[in-house]
Amino acid sequence: MRSFLAKYATALAGLGVVIWFAATAPAFASAANFTLILKETSFLAILALGFALALVTAELDLSIAEVASLAAVVCGFLVHSGYPPALAIAAGLGVGAACGLANGFAVTVLNVPSLIATLGMAAIAKGLGFMLTQGVAFVGRWPADFTGLARGNFLGVPNLLWWLILASIFAYALVKWTRTGAHLVATGEAEEASRLAGIPTKRMKRLALLLTGLFAGATAVLLAASLSSAAPNMANDHFLYAIAAVLLGMTMFEPGRPNVPGTLVAAFTLKALGNGLILSGAPYYVQDIVLGAIIVGSVALSAGALGRAAFVKRLSFRTAQ
Amino acid sequence: MSVLVRLGAVTKSYGAVEALRGVDLEIRAGDVLALCGDNGAGKSSLVKILSGAHAHDGGVFEIEGKAVRFASPQDALTRGIATIYQELAVAPRLSVAENVFLGSELVRTPLPFVSLLDKKRMRDEALGYLKRLGVDLGDATRPVERLSGGQRQAVAIARALRWDARVVIMDEPTAALGVAETKLVLDLIRRLKDEGRTVVLVSHNMADVVAVATRVAILKAGRKTVDRPVAGLDAAALAQMIVTGREAA
Repeated sequence: MRSFLAKYATALAGLGVVIWFAATAPAFASAANFTLILKETSFLAILALGFALALVTAELDLSIAEVASLAAVVCGFLVHSGYPPALAIAAGLGVGAACGLANGFAVTVLNVPSLIATLGMAAIAKGLGFMLTQGVAFVGRWPADFTGLARGNFLGVPNLLWWLILASIFAYALVKWTRTGAHLVATGEAEEASRLAGIPTKRMKRLALLLTGLFAGATAVLLAASLSSAAPNMANDHFLYAIAAVLLGMTMFEPGRPNVPGTLVAAFTLKALGNGLILSGAPYYVQDIVLGAIIVGSVALSAGALGRAAFVKRLSFRTAQ
Repeated sequence: MSVLVRLGAVTKSYGAVEALRGVDLEIRAGDVLALCGDNGAGKSSLVKILSGAHAHDGGVFEIEGKAVRFASPQDALTRGIATIYQELAVAPRLSVAENVFLGSELVRTPLPFVSLLDKKRMRDEALGYLKRLGVDLGDATRPVERLSGGQRQAVAIARALRWDARVVIMDEPTAALGVAETKLVLDLIRRLKDEGRTVVLVSHNMADVVAVATRVAILKAGRKTVDRPVAGLDAAALAQMIVTGREAA
């Protein structure tokens, strides 16, 4: 029972939140509203899964939102200018991957702590986004080939949710079932011991940060397709949500470790919470306050569950070995 | 006994600090070679060169007569030298099986081009390696942080067996261990020797050296000053040699 609670207490609390809003918030428990929450969860969770992959190797990527915005702008610019959607999608993913690659270079070759390297990348991506758009948004009637990525359904399930399912399976299978995944985890758990055991830890960190960028690019493409527009800073609202989803996710399923099921449950819980607060008539700023409390509370819980400094060390200011 | 590893006039400097000033050392098959010396004598530098953590500056480093130069711990492992560092031997939050197979995980290929971790085989074989060392842990999914200090050493040694290492270097394996745990680790070293493996034991504990080592090499100020069989020595005589850097008269 105790170990069950240690693994699922926060997930149950999330379920409690959903039930509470279903009972009290008008229109919360409708199929339409749940579909909305699930779609919102999809953007957030894909971005968050990327953040989780970097954190698996004990690196932070604080550039995810700005990189996603930049990728969306590039992708949107190409669609807007009439280039084939496939090219625009590839460019969006490519921008995300390139930023992730640059982060990996800064962290493992230049030995800049990821906290700083990715903060720098965030500023660079933001600047480039504004440079490309000159501060305005690309909005238009974009081809259905492109917007269809994020709109419509397949087998009765929203397309967005399919992308999330694919991203989740990829991340889960990579981390849990493959040698590369085992090396990513080992790098994050005990970098020096792993290096001494022959694991190329720097390469693992570069791979993780590259995937984080790629996931940010994927989020960007879906956001642009969903909104038929692209603007610098369009992904900003997802930044704290994504971090909160990963950290809250670390309190469940595999306490103390960034994990896929936890991130998914946490992302849904956070979006349901935000949605429920709005429907309950809470002022918009309540969301931010709650989010901040969840971020701090989650880390306190994880650190408490471990009873050691290891977890806190993982999140603290540090350089690659 | 045949010479497995030979160092000839090996030097290593860190900036202005000359850690090794020309060390000659032979590691013969079947030895339990104790590497002793005061702090700063050069033991750690020597171990780092043998284990591939650092490359040597000058001199020769041969394995079975062939000159080698390790660029990474991986190089040393593939040449049959495994090193167990006291603090860095294991990843505490990973399981016993994950630690034994750290860096050399077993995979299966259920479909062409699809290779997945073979977790069941790793669990079974991890327990098998530990049994060979006389340690019965029962459950290979336990995180290593829940094991005793001696059991953790056993897990680290099991990893060396997994690599089929011919030379196992152990850096202060009994430091910070209690009496019973120390005995367990010394037994592990004897088991390795019985398996025909060669052990290099870096230790400050003279009683341990006398108990398991066959040969002792003493470093002082970056040079090897003593190299002799342990037979006939007691802990006090050894300690005296480390302080003076000379064989007792």
